[in-house]
Amino acid sequence: MGFSVSGSAAIIFAALFIAFGMWYTASANTFEQLNDAKSDRTDAVRAAGSSGVDVTNATYNASTDELTVTVENTGAAQLTLDSTDLLVDGQYQTDWQDNATVEGNADTRLWLGSEVLTVTVSLPSQPDRVKVVAGTGVSDTAGVTAA
Amino acid sequence: MASVSISHMILFIASMVIAASVAGVFTSSVNDLSNAIADQGLEVSDSVRTDVEVISDNGTGACVYNCSGNGNLTLLVKNTGTQQLPARGDLIDVLVNNQFQPPGDVSVTVLGDDDVWRSNAVVRIEIAEPGLGSGDHRAKVILNGDEEVFEFRIP
Repeated sequence: MGFSVSGSAAIIFAALFIAFGMWYTASANTFEQLNDAKSDRTDAVRAAGSSGVDVTNATYNASTDELTVTVENTGAAQLTLDSTDLLVDGQYQTDWQDNATVEGNADTRLWLGSEVLTVTVSLPSQPDRVKVVAGTGVSDTAGVTAA
Repeated sequence: MASVSISHMILFIASMVIAASVAGVFTSSVNDLSNAIADQGLEVSDSVRTDVEVISDNGTGACVYNCSGNGNLTLLVKNTGTQQLPARGDLIDVLVNNQFQPPGDVSVTVLGDDDVWRSNAVVRIEIAEPGLGSGDHRAKVILNGDEEVFEFRIP
């Protein structure tokens, strides 16, 4: 009788040990993953809360067929031109970044707090409105005036 | 005496077999549970990391519906989350005026220089919805549990 009790106890104990190992690995990994996701999310929400854009001027010059938009970064978050989107009359514009300047500087792709972004887009006719969306999701719209 | 040892041996084998089967069932159940916890964790962290924003301009003068004359509703959706998302019509649920749009009617194109819908990239979702009358309408985009509502007016 003695051997069978201790033998089966050893088997059950080993099984408990293995099971706890599997459960702990899965739980710890999951917990870490969720924590990472939560802190990423918190960072994104904080960045969105501290960012703001303001379209100060949108002017269409009929003689040069160019729309010039000036946008100020009114928030504290640093924005980049590559993550910023420009919509003219609801149409998504691409490759405007190459002709854009930040505080007169054409080489930079960073758009920091209180800096003014100037975008020039060639368009055949005067559009009604523009919308600028920052990487954090905040946006501003404005009507286009004739030069 | 021999009968005692044989019966002891039978009891010993029986107890080992029972203990081993209990251990097997126990470990396989805990293994299933661990896999389920890992899967669920992956799914929850995906949905926490997912955040999209409909950036279409719905002001007067901007075009949302029937822009190219083929009865399509055009939504521009920006990935404001922290992970790459699938730019596929069958993985994005779209509801227009509370009507589910079948995946065949939803086409998704990544705009700009990006090939995939990574963070900060924008996709254009074209929804074939011919015959939307004038008035107020709403569209809802659902992806990984993140829901965005876009309201617009057709003049």
